[in-house]
Amino acid sequence: MTSKTMWLLGRLMHRHRGGLKLSSFVRSASCTAEGAVAPPVDSSVTAEQAVRLWAQHFTLHGISEPLLSSQYIIAHVLGRKTLDGVDRRRLKDPLTDTERVSVWKLCTKRLTSMPVQYVIQEWDFRDLTLKMKPPVFIPRPETEELVGLVLEDLRLIRGESYGTDLRCLEVGCGSGAISLSLLHSIPQLRVLALDQSQAAVCLTRENANRLGLQDKLEVQHLDVMGDALLSKCGPVHFLVSNPPYLLTQEMQSLQTEILRFEDHAALDGGLDGLSVIRSILVLASKLLKERGRVYLEVAPCHPPVIRQMIEETMPGLLYLETRCDLTNRPRFCILQRRA
Amino acid sequence: MSSLLLRILYGFSPPLHRQLFKWPFVLAAGKKDLIDLPVLNEEDLEEQFVRGSGPGGQATNKTSNCVVLKHTPTGIVVKCHQTRSVTHNRKLARDILREKLEVEYKGEESELLRRQNESIQRKQVKRRKVNENIEKKRRFKETLNAEDFGFKSQEP
Repeated sequence: MTSKTMWLLGRLMHRHRGGLKLSSFVRSASCTAEGAVAPPVDSSVTAEQAVRLWAQHFTLHGISEPLLSSQYIIAHVLGRKTLDGVDRRRLKDPLTDTERVSVWKLCTKRLTSMPVQYVIQEWDFRDLTLKMKPPVFIPRPETEELVGLVLEDLRLIRGESYGTDLRCLEVGCGSGAISLSLLHSIPQLRVLALDQSQAAVCLTRENANRLGLQDKLEVQHLDVMGDALLSKCGPVHFLVSNPPYLLTQEMQSLQTEILRFEDHAALDGGLDGLSVIRSILVLASKLLKERGRVYLEVAPCHPPVIRQMIEETMPGLLYLETRCDLTNRPRFCILQRRA
Repeated sequence: MSSLLLRILYGFSPPLHRQLFKWPFVLAAGKKDLIDLPVLNEEDLEEQFVRGSGPGGQATNKTSNCVVLKHTPTGIVVKCHQTRSVTHNRKLARDILREKLEVEYKGEESELLRRQNESIQRKQVKRRKVNENIEKKRRFKETLNAEDFGFKSQEP
């Protein structure tokens, strides 16, 4: 980087940094893949100043959620999940050298549009904190609702303590969010989780170990669309899945965070978005006990199409219900294997 | 100082006190038991999930999961994005709303307000004592220094 570029950067930072005072000039600078450069840093920058500085820098480079990204990353370096959780006085203290280096390193990653969850390598899902690792799919908030829906439905059918001896199959476990969340809430549950991605299988196992749930969860590297399946798998009480459900044509307009870093195979559901869902429903009619249920997260356009599909081609299944997510989009389908 | 606070508390209509205290005060203090908080009816609530624009679901990857909860009968609005889990934010938003409703319904007799006021008064007493101690130590140090000088000036 030439000294002229650094001067320019300094001027830009001066214009954009608002009330922040920097008493010395460039200490460290590093380049990202596209040439976006980390801002210069003073050795006495406080946590608060770092949050503002990086929020401004993210904005400058068109990174989405600039302030939130900055807050989450710096809170993480300070050992907390959110900036709210950091002591007010701590925010006004200068960062230690280690902390500052860490903040700069992580925020520089965010400059490449890497999702915050991959930058800090963890995220929360309901009651759990899970390890995150690219390119394994990052759990979405809507899927927390799917788990809530499953728990509520199971309580309705089987009583408040979910009855005895419950077995479930999850297709496309990703980081293990759904399975581990269910296992956390239902002690007598046993789960078989599948994913076509070896990275996802490994991450699910790792998260299970970290949560002490490894004895209740079996994870297998299998593709529901391809592999001859599950003759060894006994019948299950219910099946749950957040399968890839995006239409192929939707893939190209996705955020950079998703396109560049997440596994496309975890998102792309083919032309109509239903290619994986179809295979799951075929599997369900074979593996479910009588009156066992399927809980799916889908695209908002899918529920009527799925209903029609099973009425026409899958007589063994009954379409029970569509539920909406918090943004009022049809998002969840509940089906049942006929008696 | 505390009498001024009392005057503020009881001299004004309920809306002002909502601005004086930060929520969730009681949750932070950890003494939320034994307060009779009003029950919430979900039919009285309008909930919004702030995720920015976008298709949602797998097509969106955002970290913002702010929950906005409106209690339609009173018009009270609560925002919560204290945690990284939307499920927890929803629960917390309801807890905060129940606390606000307790103050709203009970007004002067609010148990929450009473505890907050007690806590503030306790802190004021404590700070006063700390300041007194600092002042005592400072005066003691001064007398020591004064003696030192006195002693030195007598040296041959």
